[in-house]
Amino acid sequence: MKKTVIIGSVLYDPKVAVIWEIISDFFSENGLPVDTVFYTNYELLVGALLDGHVDIAWNSPLAWLGSQRRSGGHCRAIAMRDTDRDRVSYWVVKANSGFQDVSDLRGKTVAVGAKDSPQATLIPLGYLDRQGLLPGKDVQVKRFDLLVGKHGDHIGGELEAFRSLHGGEVAACAMIDLNWQTWTQDGTINPNEYVVLATTERFDHCVFTVRSDFPADLEEKWLRVLFSMSYDNPKHQEMMDMEGLKQWLPARTSGFGPLASAVNTFGFFDEVVS
Amino acid sequence: MEMEKTTWNLRIVTTGREPATAYMRKHQFTVGVPLQFDPEYPHITALEYALGALAADIVGGLQVISHRRRLKLDNVEAVLSGELNNPLTYLGVVGETGHPGLERVNVTVYVSSTGSEEEIGLIWEEMLQKSPLVNTLKRAVKLDLVMKVVI
Repeated sequence: MKKTVIIGSVLYDPKVAVIWEIISDFFSENGLPVDTVFYTNYELLVGALLDGHVDIAWNSPLAWLGSQRRSGGHCRAIAMRDTDRDRVSYWVVKANSGFQDVSDLRGKTVAVGAKDSPQATLIPLGYLDRQGLLPGKDVQVKRFDLLVGKHGDHIGGELEAFRSLHGGEVAACAMIDLNWQTWTQDGTINPNEYVVLATTERFDHCVFTVRSDFPADLEEKWLRVLFSMSYDNPKHQEMMDMEGLKQWLPARTSGFGPLASAVNTFGFFDEVVS
Repeated sequence: MEMEKTTWNLRIVTTGREPATAYMRKHQFTVGVPLQFDPEYPHITALEYALGALAADIVGGLQVISHRRRLKLDNVEAVLSGELNNPLTYLGVVGETGHPGLERVNVTVYVSSTGSEEEIGLIWEEMLQKSPLVNTLKRAVKLDLVMKVVI
């Protein structure tokens, strides 16, 4: 009997389950059956991966760091979306604010997403820290802790942060470049009224993660099927549009530096286990 | 003599992953999976049938009663939205709480008629008393029913 590969994923919106149905069907058609198990937060997902309940975890970047931390470095990142690479986050301000660079935020209040959001909280605050603005001391931070545990997958906190900027409650807000692009196109943000004050270092986002004992031959077969998904296939295109990618790529771990730095600076894992 | 109970008998059959077929009297209809989150799913789900049946019960009931009362309703339209307690539990998301049952159903019914608002209101009240599905579901979910008279 063929081994069924069990994939674990955090699910915050039932519509996302459609993505995994399409992926599962494609793997079955290619003779490599997979089952998907959904978790309500990344803490549970990482635990399930390390306890062997799932073979492959679709990890957020913070969950990747958490997996490595909790396993003592015994996990491997094996695949990611093309759009997971080289992301940046922005500090956005009102165009008429008169701010020239982040040093102008000294003494001001800035808005961020949920406390465990890499893109809307940890990396942007880490950037400010490296620019000499210690969060909580040199700048006050207004945090929007929506759906904590989902590592900012849910954009609610990020959107609330922008709304607080829009409402004049804060001087700046953080958001990932992809949301800036989407929101300036769909009318959520008027691009004439807001500008990007600063851009963080590039960072990478989600990764499929396995334990180090995941069989190499099975991993190779699984990746071969994954990488054969094509944007030219209408069914795959539906999934890829929902998941925000054009192509699956091999994973790399060189893009987690800014997040790892922020996590260390703010003692994130000292406060919560992820 | 004791009155014999009236029952409605249906037969529902499914084979493999095909949609189910429900047979009743001389009719039949097909039903997809219990519920679906994919807007492209090609069949009507069981949940959609249930919600559709509730709305049809209301608009159809209004027409039946108004006919008996000799009041013509030109047009009756219902807009319905249903909300599950926690749809993630249907997908078996580990760590989620709650249940996949209906939590709330909102129905707004728009009625246009030459009758007075008072006459239409009496028909609405009678419908609420006689509707089989309203009287079943109001015991199980938060049922918010609103009727609006439009010209």
